[in-house]
Amino acid sequence: MPDFIANFELTPWWILGIKLAVVLTIVPLGSLIGGYALHKELGHLQHRLGPMHAGGFHGWAQTLADGIKFILKEDIIPAKADAPVFKFAPVMIYVPIVLLYTVIPVDSKLIVEDLDVGLFFLLAVGSIPVIGTLMAAWSSANKYALIGGLRAAAQLIAYELPIVLSAAVVAMLAGSLSVIDIVEAQNWAFVIWPPGIGLIAFLIFLAGAMAEMTMPPFDMPIAESEIITGPFTEYTGMRFIFSFFGAEMAHVVAFAGIAATLFLGGYKPIVPLEFLEVIPGFVWFLLKTMFMFFLMTWIRFTLPRLREDQLQKFAWKYLIPASLVLILAAGAWVLYAPEALWH
Amino acid sequence: MALDSKDIKGVRSAYDEGKLVPGGGDALPPPPANPGSLHIDHDKLRKQRKTTFGIGLLKGMAVTIKHLFMRNTVIEYPDEKQDLSPRTRGVIALKEENCTVCMLCARECPDWCIYIDSHKETLPAKREGGRPRKRNVLDRFAIDYALCMYCGICVEVCPYDALFWSREFEYAEYDIRELTHEKERLSDWMATVLPPPELELGAELPGQPSPVAAEPAAAAPAPAAAPAPAATGTTAQSPSERVEKESAPSAAAPAAASTPAKPDKAAGGAASAEPRPEASDGVASTPPGTAESREQKAPLSTQEGESALPEAAQVRVPAEAPRPVALEKTEDPQAVYDKVLQEQKDKGSSPQVAEARAKVARVKAERGIKRGPTPVEVDKPVPSAPTKHSEEESS
Repeated sequence: MPDFIANFELTPWWILGIKLAVVLTIVPLGSLIGGYALHKELGHLQHRLGPMHAGGFHGWAQTLADGIKFILKEDIIPAKADAPVFKFAPVMIYVPIVLLYTVIPVDSKLIVEDLDVGLFFLLAVGSIPVIGTLMAAWSSANKYALIGGLRAAAQLIAYELPIVLSAAVVAMLAGSLSVIDIVEAQNWAFVIWPPGIGLIAFLIFLAGAMAEMTMPPFDMPIAESEIITGPFTEYTGMRFIFSFFGAEMAHVVAFAGIAATLFLGGYKPIVPLEFLEVIPGFVWFLLKTMFMFFLMTWIRFTLPRLREDQLQKFAWKYLIPASLVLILAAGAWVLYAPEALWH
Repeated sequence: MALDSKDIKGVRSAYDEGKLVPGGGDALPPPPANPGSLHIDHDKLRKQRKTTFGIGLLKGMAVTIKHLFMRNTVIEYPDEKQDLSPRTRGVIALKEENCTVCMLCARECPDWCIYIDSHKETLPAKREGGRPRKRNVLDRFAIDYALCMYCGICVEVCPYDALFWSREFEYAEYDIRELTHEKERLSDWMATVLPPPELELGAELPGQPSPVAAEPAAAAPAPAAAPAPAATGTTAQSPSERVEKESAPSAAAPAAASTPAKPDKAAGGAASAEPRPEASDGVASTPPGTAESREQKAPLSTQEGESALPEAAQVRVPAEAPRPVALEKTEDPQAVYDKVLQEQKDKGSSPQVAEARAKVARVKAERGIKRGPTPVEVDKPVPSAPTKHSEEESS
């Protein structure tokens, strides 16, 4: 009998319950806080204020108010739309994003499930929302939604590879697919050491992640001034939240956490200095996640949208060859770098 | 078949010659080898740009991050309100007592958003044997602010100052019918109208044709000489000019060019240059504003014997009321008739034309209108323009 079946243990139901509760709390909470942070940051980058009114003090309850508004909206499904697929598409998009949260280590013991193949799980599960987007596009019975969906499909598939390949670089450097091992392998965060390889991998991963989440400059599928919301044009109310806005926020926070784990050192201090050890791990993790979120929002606001052909060209002609070369370089490093240089 | 490059090979445009560029042909990249095809040499463009790859992105990000940390200048309406300038166009207010229901505003409104109803009332005569007065009474005056585009034509056009701009803008309604403001509401808005702005230095006071002179003493000798028909040099000048001139100079020293315009225009466009040649009268009554600008530019003829009085002393006040023009005749109309007739005959005009012209001249002399081309009022002196004293020879 295969090992894993013989050694199969069912986690006690109450532990499962706690883990489920944690995830189901963190995800919406993260989306709410992330959404508020997004609005405020975008506002101040644009030399304005962002939400100030909702909830009194600098509009802290803005996303909450938005959420309530969306819940109260009428649920409209176009007459010619393919109803079952239409309804299932947001599920297909949102559930994998929630699953992403299960393998992000907030601290060395604060992880929902430390899978041995954590990284692989992340990448695999992170690809499922692509199908959800396509389902939304086709079932909407709207040609502009379809155009957006096809653009999305092309873009998301193109940018899967840079993400996977740069994550592969990290896995090679760490020697394991388990996220905890990856964090433990970073005395000096991978973005700093090995020099060059880590930084370029980080940048490629960043570009790929922003494209996966259809954030500007890669927001052709949504391209709001051109095709409204692309594949999600026909969605209203909570379906809209679960397929588009909420999903995007949850996705961004998740990827911020993943990037912090893979490249910035996770719950460990970035550089192994004594005085930095005082700060607890989860604080480090939160700081890094917030920094990543800030960085992605900053890039998102500043850069103009790429045209579809520029987008594809960037992925296929620049990012993918670069990440392939990077794998070669990482492999050479792992094999031939002397022990003294490690960490 | 699309235009082939060999069809237009050999055509050299100004662009190719380098003529369209200030620096010459070298400032531009060389034109493409095939004039017919569009060829963008990306490498060349990039080399000419002389920047590293990706710098633009980083510069852009630097700009936005700078704004993140800048002090914010947002005025948080409705907690904070902006300081509006006094000329801000908000709502239009109505001063009912000034309105005579002339309907100009309703007529001129491009949107037809002013609704006016009125009726005529007859009031009894004020005194014995007088005529009963008819008055317009305003029944309804409404402005539909759903249509109003705040152009201000009604405010401009109102001859009786019954409409005023106010700075109020917060009168949004839930029902569009409540956006039509009736008389009462429009009158209420008058409370928010700002007082009129201060007059500038030297501006005309409202309600008077020209301000009072500053120095009547210096003007004393001059008006005495003015009415006397001058024998020399002013024979050709008509009394009307002198009359204009007399009223024109009653300008206060600081008052500028606005004053001469009015009396001049009133007399039918006689130029402000008109009074100049008459300075020999002793009435150095050039309107100060124009005189100031003209003194430097157009030298006055010495035959007039220009007075050397400084500008301030050239302010004159009419010592007596201007007399009706027709009573003053400088020339014998019959003499004019004969003279003109002779001139025309000498010129070779036909007898009927000559007679007609002579008659016209006689009538003009009777009426005291100067013969010759109608003088053009010049606001600013042009040094090369003929000055008025040249007209003395024309008649």
